[in-house]
Amino acid sequence: MKKRTGIFICHCGINIAGTVDVKSVAAEMAKEPGVAHSVDYVYMCSDPGQNMIEQAIKDKKLDSVVVACCSPNLHETTFRNAAKRAGINSFKCEIANIREQCSWVHKDKGKATHKAAHLTKSAVKKVQKNESLEPISVPVTRKALVIGGGISGIQSALDLAGAGYKVILVERSPSIGGHMSQLSETFPTLDCSQCILTPKMVEVSRHPNIKLMTYSEVQEVTGYVGNFKVKILKKPTYVDPAKCNLCDECTKVCPIVVPNEFDVGLTGRRAIYIPFPQAIPASYTLDDKNCPDPFTTIACGKCADVCKVKAINYDMKPEIIEEEVGAIIVATGFDLYDKENMAEYGYGKYADVLDGLQFERLCSASGPTQGKILRPSDHKEPKEVVFIQCSGSRDPELHCAYCSKICCMYTAKHAMLYKHHVHDGQAYIFYIDVRSGGKGYEEFVQRAVEEDGVIYLRGKVSKIFEENGKIKVWGVDTLSGKPIEIDADMVVLAQAMRPSNGAQELAKKLKLGTDKDGFLAEAHPKLRPVESVTAGMFLAGAAQAPKDIPEAVAQASGAASKAIGILSQERLYHSPTVAKVLKNLCTGCGMCVAVCPYDAIAFKDGKVEVNEVLCEGCGTCSATCLRAAIQVKNLTQNQVQEMILACLGG
Amino acid sequence: MVKHEDVRAEAKKLLESGKVKYIIAYELGADGWKANPVFIKKPEDVDKIIWGPTCFHNLIRFVVDEKRRKVQQKNPDTRPVGVMVKGCDSRAIVILLQEKFIERKDVHIIGVSCEKTGVIDERKLANKLKGRKAKNVEFGPDENFVVTTEEGTVDLPASEIMADRCLECIAHVPVITDVLFGEKTKRTVPHPFGSVEKIETLSSEDRWKFWSEQLEKCVRCYACRSVCPMCYCDECVADTITFAVSPDTTAEEKAQKIKWLDKSPVISENIFYHMVRAIHLAGRCIDCGECERACPVNIPLRMLNKKLEKEAKLLFGYDVGFDSEKPALISCFRDEDPEDFIR
Repeated sequence: MKKRTGIFICHCGINIAGTVDVKSVAAEMAKEPGVAHSVDYVYMCSDPGQNMIEQAIKDKKLDSVVVACCSPNLHETTFRNAAKRAGINSFKCEIANIREQCSWVHKDKGKATHKAAHLTKSAVKKVQKNESLEPISVPVTRKALVIGGGISGIQSALDLAGAGYKVILVERSPSIGGHMSQLSETFPTLDCSQCILTPKMVEVSRHPNIKLMTYSEVQEVTGYVGNFKVKILKKPTYVDPAKCNLCDECTKVCPIVVPNEFDVGLTGRRAIYIPFPQAIPASYTLDDKNCPDPFTTIACGKCADVCKVKAINYDMKPEIIEEEVGAIIVATGFDLYDKENMAEYGYGKYADVLDGLQFERLCSASGPTQGKILRPSDHKEPKEVVFIQCSGSRDPELHCAYCSKICCMYTAKHAMLYKHHVHDGQAYIFYIDVRSGGKGYEEFVQRAVEEDGVIYLRGKVSKIFEENGKIKVWGVDTLSGKPIEIDADMVVLAQAMRPSNGAQELAKKLKLGTDKDGFLAEAHPKLRPVESVTAGMFLAGAAQAPKDIPEAVAQASGAASKAIGILSQERLYHSPTVAKVLKNLCTGCGMCVAVCPYDAIAFKDGKVEVNEVLCEGCGTCSATCLRAAIQVKNLTQNQVQEMILACLGG
Repeated sequence: MVKHEDVRAEAKKLLESGKVKYIIAYELGADGWKANPVFIKKPEDVDKIIWGPTCFHNLIRFVVDEKRRKVQQKNPDTRPVGVMVKGCDSRAIVILLQEKFIERKDVHIIGVSCEKTGVIDERKLANKLKGRKAKNVEFGPDENFVVTTEEGTVDLPASEIMADRCLECIAHVPVITDVLFGEKTKRTVPHPFGSVEKIETLSSEDRWKFWSEQLEKCVRCYACRSVCPMCYCDECVADTITFAVSPDTTAEEKAQKIKWLDKSPVISENIFYHMVRAIHLAGRCIDCGECERACPVNIPLRMLNKKLEKEAKLLFGYDVGFDSEKPALISCFRDEDPEDFIR
């Protein structure tokens, strides 16, 4: 049967028509074999434009359509839907990209017109060989997994649970709460961090829709959007939370002392511990990395002896729990840039050089000093404190190139809190710029300067060293051009934020992309900021980029609502342009199996087979196969060859 | 030193016990001094088996043929075939295993070590002998060959008449065997990619000129393809006569067959053919040099494959044909693979 293809050339205002002679392209295309209709129009994507296509399909009995316009990323769906409305299969519509790949990148009108015609011809050859395909439909598991129990993960889990969906919240440490639980007060309102966080933590623990799995890690994720299979490793805590009555007798007898992670090493904890009093779940954990201590092979058993309720069980074993979920939210948060990297600021060398989180613990009412700001070295009140911003941030040569975004604000807060505790003290802040964009943020910084007399010095610190019990800070004030020398009692570094430890490995397990700094990559920096590149996986909080609490919470809610968008569907539809094995050419060498990024290809009877639901149609297999035995539907070798010939011809 | 008697005794044992179907080995050819491939099927024929510096052939090609025959047979004899392999040939087995074309139980590998030398290059020897005819070539005690002509015996150093690929060999001892004869010697190879070093110094215009001249000569006899143990595809893009049509080939599939290149031996098609072959051998060619040896018009085909072997080694640290458990070069993407060549 003779082909009847319709061609629609878009001007895109002057975006295309300015460089491409659209009229002559339309005229040239009309002469092509199998082309029954060829027109141009100023905005094909407009309503009249779409109507034009629909009408032409009906009137001229077109069996396929090529729209020469912008990138298929933008309007392919628009035009495929138009084709469908007019009664032809949506895969009988193809886009020739004559804007991004032609008019925008060329100046010479003659040559650009020539190229546009060839791109369109090539699309005609392709569409004439396209199969009619129907989307592949799959059911949806109406349950979500949230990875990370910081404020972002908590918010996402609560939003999902509130909307009526079951949620599994996985946190690798013994308690949820994340870094926010370590903070003292939060900017710009100076409300107590724990006071606003703990109600949410309690809600998580009490919510009937949330299954909380602390001290657990995601081990493996397989499957696809709507139907993920997850393996979660539940590490043994050796304490039965149902029996534990929080009497705290065990920690009193435990002989092993290790640095306390919650106080960022400012205090010690025992091998059996509760991270902080409001921990959720409220139970103790026996840390088997430190108990028994490395010199003994068996636990001393003292904690079990004193436990009146017999909650301690040394025989607890790690468990692998398998779950099925429809959507995944990754909220793995941040860690501070490693101290070892900041040798130039004496971090790790001098006890009174602290990082931002340690200073938070000093200010915190629940901290090691009950909210009194004292020097770790001699427990005296520091009278001169130097805060250094951008410690590790904005330093592409040596450290991180990016801005950690929250340090300007929390440093101002630290200086303010310090003044509130030590009225006769003086706070200095070395800064490069003060970035205080945000509701009430600029006013907050001004308050620090005006009401609390914080001295802002624009410049970098060149050297920090100890002399006569003081920490000497040498720097320069680049506004006055004068060198600065401060005899400080304490130095606080606003360390850069970086993706949390282990985030990279998790990203690999989930097949998520990461950016150059290791933060999880969003699908589009502007228009899809909470979606990951993998369908059905969403990003929340500082795992995606440095951000403060309000932003993290907003993104967490955004991610939850995106996940609800999937979970609320009856069925999900999947593109049918998937790989297909030509059995008589396949030798079963398995190169495609090894190379498939979606694990969609498996061996079967000495050859291979494609799982159409897992296949994303990326074509990596097709490019790898030496025998052209695996090809993507509607992009077969035959079509590619015809497209190449059309591009090269004439 | 490998003793003929030992190899023959092993072959006899294998055939008598019925452990192998037959043995693919070398015998003395009709010209009286060069080896020929031979299929030994009866124990009484084992005395034909020889081993020497004229055993150029990569016998793995016959293993490939055996597998293809077996697929066609209704009740195939599933016993393994015995095959004599040099170091280079053994790597071809590794590739076939890696690509799951054969299974380990399909072959009984009789390895022979090349020890301090390798095989000779016939053309180099002919040049050296200046018209005199060789009657016998044997391994010398050191890095040399003992060549007998009508005028007597001469000792020639390996560097002068050995095949180029042996000068650049990275596997003097078979890497996978069931039984090994000869010493597990180590030899230093100063220039593992020596044959491409010179051409790499040329400008791209000069290289184009060189290859245009070389590939112009190609008569498209496909000897290189026929002799290559890696060229086992049923269908080859190079010529339509190989296109497999079976009873279950659909009309659609028949219609989809593409003629990527023309049959006629003109330069554009020749270049296309040889480029496709070289790319398809990237990470698979084990440098047995058979393509170049079989070429009737002396195209330096090894150079193309060697260049790709070098790229694989330098860019990805990939050694071809040593580990059948590892994924193939083109399917072993790693996050830390270099990307600086992407601009």
